[in-house]
Amino acid sequence: MEPDLKQTLGRLLGPSEPEIGCEACFAELDRYVELEVAGADADAAVPGLRAHLEGCPACREEHESLRALVSGEQAL
Amino acid sequence: MSALAAGTVELVQRAAPRSTPAVVPLDPDSREWLRSLRADGAVRDAAIARLHALLLRAARFEVRRRRPTLPHLRGDELDDIATEAAHDALMSVLKRLDDFRGASRFTTWVYKFALLEAAVKLRKRAWQGREVPLEPESWSLFSSESLQPGAEVEQSELLSTLKNAIDKVLTPHQRRVLVALALNEVPIDVLADRLSTTRGALYKTLHDARRKLRRDLDERGLSLDVSEEAN
Repeated sequence: MEPDLKQTLGRLLGPSEPEIGCEACFAELDRYVELEVAGADADAAVPGLRAHLEGCPACREEHESLRALVSGEQAL
Repeated sequence: MSALAAGTVELVQRAAPRSTPAVVPLDPDSREWLRSLRADGAVRDAAIARLHALLLRAARFEVRRRRPTLPHLRGDELDDIATEAAHDALMSVLKRLDDFRGASRFTTWVYKFALLEAAVKLRKRAWQGREVPLEPESWSLFSSESLQPGAEVEQSELLSTLKNAIDKVLTPHQRRVLVALALNEVPIDVLADRLSTTRGALYKTLHDARRKLRRDLDERGLSLDVSEEAN
């Protein structure tokens, strides 16, 4: 299957795993990112957030930004 | 109102009860932030100024990350967006100060408000003046021409069934939202703005539509796990 087709099907069908919504994602994002950056099991601490990031491009972008910002700070 | 907006469906679906973060003592820096922001007079004013500087830094960080996707915007326009985002984030943080429970450092908690405000403003700015397509711009994805030569019959059947499900299984609102977000790739904040709703409410609609489509495919023995391909 063409990569573009797979990506579009992914956007249409979304994550197969249960997920939390956008507001719950925002509420937990700071804790999740700090756990990730510390090397802890963030997915176990916040079930459903990883699946939500798969399905929601906006929350995924904000997660990537927060992780980059926090990682950069810790590297200083 | 925050960029996500209150009053929307918070939880789409949970795999298991979410672990509640233990109540932990605040780290010294976070405690000092709260103390000074809750003080009076000059102490509070100084704390708010420091907080604003922190939020502006985060908003500019987000603007820098997205700048390559916004080549038509001048530097001063981008800085105006960062300044506005920092101001709106400051209002949100001050309003929600009591919501901070110390599950992360205070600075990490406030950063997310600035990043959200900046990201939402940049998405809206990128789509300013553009029509938001709510109908499929093209069904070519689902035509046999999109398939590679020799594509399996099952793949063709999957696409045909999926198109039929989008047409027949979804409500008109679910169909519009799914088509705009998943097929036409309209940013969710832009669509929320045009439809006078919220990101959370739209995502709930998208989630329900996706579940219907998956269920329909499952019932026809055509399930396909493409989740990793969505990234």
